[in-house]
Amino acid sequence: MSKIHYDREHHVKKATDVGDPQCFKGEAGPAKFKVGDRVRVRDLPSLFYSRTMVYARGAECTVAELVYESPPPEDEAWDNCDNPEWFYSVIFNQKDLWPEYPEAYASDTLETELSERWLELV
Amino acid sequence: MTPERKKAMQHINIGCQLQPALHMPQHAPFPDLIDNAHFRAYTRQVHDVGGEPDVPIEWEEKEEEVWEHNTFITCEVLAWRGVWNAEERRRRQNVDVGQTQYLGLSYYGRWLLTAARILVDKQYITNSELSDKMHEVKKRYE
Repeated sequence: MSKIHYDREHHVKKATDVGDPQCFKGEAGPAKFKVGDRVRVRDLPSLFYSRTMVYARGAECTVAELVYESPPPEDEAWDNCDNPEWFYSVIFNQKDLWPEYPEAYASDTLETELSERWLELV
Repeated sequence: MTPERKKAMQHINIGCQLQPALHMPQHAPFPDLIDNAHFRAYTRQVHDVGGEPDVPIEWEEKEEEVWEHNTFITCEVLAWRGVWNAEERRRRQNVDVGQTQYLGLSYYGRWLLTAARILVDKQYITNSELSDKMHEVKKRYE
């Protein structure tokens, strides 16, 4: 077997003096969702790697902020930066995530960031 | 039994106790018993433990050790040299290691194991070179 060639400098060339995720700015195209949109987390197959928590799959949440453009973790975990996406900060009600969450804390929320592929409009 | 054989037997004896168990009469189900739900569970990402039932444990403070600092520096230097990025590190340290190592080895233990692994996977060193070097270093302490 011959050696696989990895370009060790592809990221440093792109991000030096710019920063990451700033270096992906403008590469994701128009954002699909806007602040205030009610969205649902998709239950996509995630065979080898994902950072989308299983407890959030299928749950509804609200878009709080468009945070940056970046490759989704599912690709970046193999050092692939070819398809950057918009990342959204989304807010869940804790009661929507945990079936036995106490009524006394009904106003508790959880905020996290997910990439666009994981969200769909309700 | 030679010390080497003792070590090998110990490996087997501890290893078989580490298997993540489905609490069924046998650990490995027959292939036709792996339905979609079980396939999904078997191929889950082991770092995604949110919501899994567990019991409270006592918090214990632990001071950082020199080898842990050295491991941290090694991993950072590999990143500066473009060998891996932060997401690739997380994948390898928290997911690729599998459930037994994820739950069983220490935090920096997984970092160190993974630093060696990426150098072999990306062919900066060979697995036999790694083996020879480990053997050589071990000898210094015998």
